Amino acid sequence: MSDYVAVAKATDVADPGSMLVEVRERLVVLIHAAGHWYALDDVCTHDGGPLSDGPLDAAGNTIACPRHGAKFDIRTGAALTMPATKPTKSHEVKLDGEQVLVRLSDG
Amino acid sequence: MSTAIAAKGFSQAAFDAYLAARDEPAWLLDMRRKAWARFQDLPLPSVRDEEWMRTDIRLFKLDRFELPDALGHGEASQGQVPHALLAAGVNLGGRAVVMNSHALSAKLEPSLAKQGVLFGSLQHLVKEHGDLLRPFFERRVVDPHKDKFAALNAACWSGGTLLYVPKGVRIEQPLHALSAISNGGVDLDKTLVILEPGADATMLSETASTDTTGGGMHCGSIELIVEQGARLRYVNLQNWGHEVWHFAHQKGHVGREGRLQWTIGALGSRLAKVNQHVAMTGPDAEVQVNGVMFTEGKQHLSYNTHQHHQAAFCKSDLLYKAALQDKSRTVWRGMIRVERDAQRTDAYQRNDNLMLSRDARADSIPGLEIEADDVRCTHGSTSGRVDDQQLFYAMTRGYTRREAVRMIVAGFFQQVFDRITIESVRDALSEAIGRRVSDIKGL
Repeated sequence: MSDYVAVAKATDVADPGSMLVEVRERLVVLIHAAGHWYALDDVCTHDGGPLSDGPLDAAGNTIACPRHGAKFDIRTGAALTMPATKPTKSHEVKLDGEQVLVRLSDG
Repeated sequence: MSTAIAAKGFSQAAFDAYLAARDEPAWLLDMRRKAWARFQDLPLPSVRDEEWMRTDIRLFKLDRFELPDALGHGEASQGQVPHALLAAGVNLGGRAVVMNSHALSAKLEPSLAKQGVLFGSLQHLVKEHGDLLRPFFERRVVDPHKDKFAALNAACWSGGTLLYVPKGVRIEQPLHALSAISNGGVDLDKTLVILEPGADATMLSETASTDTTGGGMHCGSIELIVEQGARLRYVNLQNWGHEVWHFAHQKGHVGREGRLQWTIGALGSRLAKVNQHVAMTGPDAEVQVNGVMFTEGKQHLSYNTHQHHQAAFCKSDLLYKAALQDKSRTVWRGMIRVERDAQRTDAYQRNDNLMLSRDARADSIPGLEIEADDVRCTHGSTSGRVDDQQLFYAMTRGYTRREAVRMIVAGFFQQVFDRITIESVRDALSEAIGRRVSDIKGL
């Protein structure tokens, strides 16, 4: 497991809101929802669409792919609706003061 | 007059200094300036574009690279040149090497030079033979306005390779061109092959990195002009290091009764996006396209192929085969386009993918656009894993599972190898694939 990497300041992302960040040559969508922080691979497992361009539903804990509407659980990356059937990768997030840090789950 | 280049990157200042140092014909400099203006206007392609929606280049940072030093000083040296796979054991008629976009060496058999054949560095030969080459540049076989990468190559190509074969000249020995980069290097290669009417030639072209794990950028173009009744066999092996970004526009124009056999092998690079286009511009032209790909790790190879039938009685036949392992991905989008006047067209395209891992992914998207009403156009695509029944059968005959898989992968590619008429190419591709097959994991 890799180390945490600083990716943004907490004030950079509204609540609810999301932001595309790069973590060690990987694109990750950083999500701020209901006071919590989440990070997912910025890729829909159906067609490779960028989740960072899709609508975030903070109340329902989902983010949708802008291409075909597949929804993913922002907490776990689980695929919730068709046409996606496989989860997208979820990563750990923590706050260090004002700094948001992400640790890739598979290094 | 050459001047030292201080400005770096792909800035206006760097481009101005680059042009000032080139000492080229005015018409060529003018072409470069127009393409540069287009390059500056165009955005980088994005996943919102239909053609790029399966090829994400958001991690590609153009500003991490820079124009090659026009003076050719520095990093390039013969000692660093990687081993050329396609040249092994072949009696060559000529040989050219380009390193980090700088021409290193070029040799041509004197007997061929006597017949008017030109072969070697395009950068050097265009200065000596500008009047001869100008009409072929002005044809703009590859459209410099197609996208940002096409414009960048048209504006800033450097090094490059030219093969020019005069009318009726037949060359028996293949000509070989190697374009290489060192770690972090930039290759802005342009290949121009011109076969005048009735000419006949074979060109073997390959790319490689000095460090197989190294990075870099290739932004290249290939233009093949096959005039009336000419015959060209062209082989292009892409074998960059696994961190190289590869962007290429490749196009062939085949005239009346011309023949083009075009074979590509794609083994290297981190991400490759290639537009391979063949246009049959005169009646009775024939084109055969062969593609072999083997991907591993997180490689992403994307090929857009286009068989463009512009005239009647032409034939095109495309076969791409890919084997994928680990988390690699291939994208093939193929289009057969038949214009209204291209009656009696016979066109075929096929893409087969062999999935060697559960995490690999192959997207295969064939397409037809037919305006004529008397044609035969067909296509096919298959994607599948190694057949368990075939494995079981081989194992009942005494093979281990690993041996059986190797044999099945070799058999998968044999269909395309059988179409390649050049023995050395068949052997080189077969050996390169075989080496990778022997490393297949998880068996």
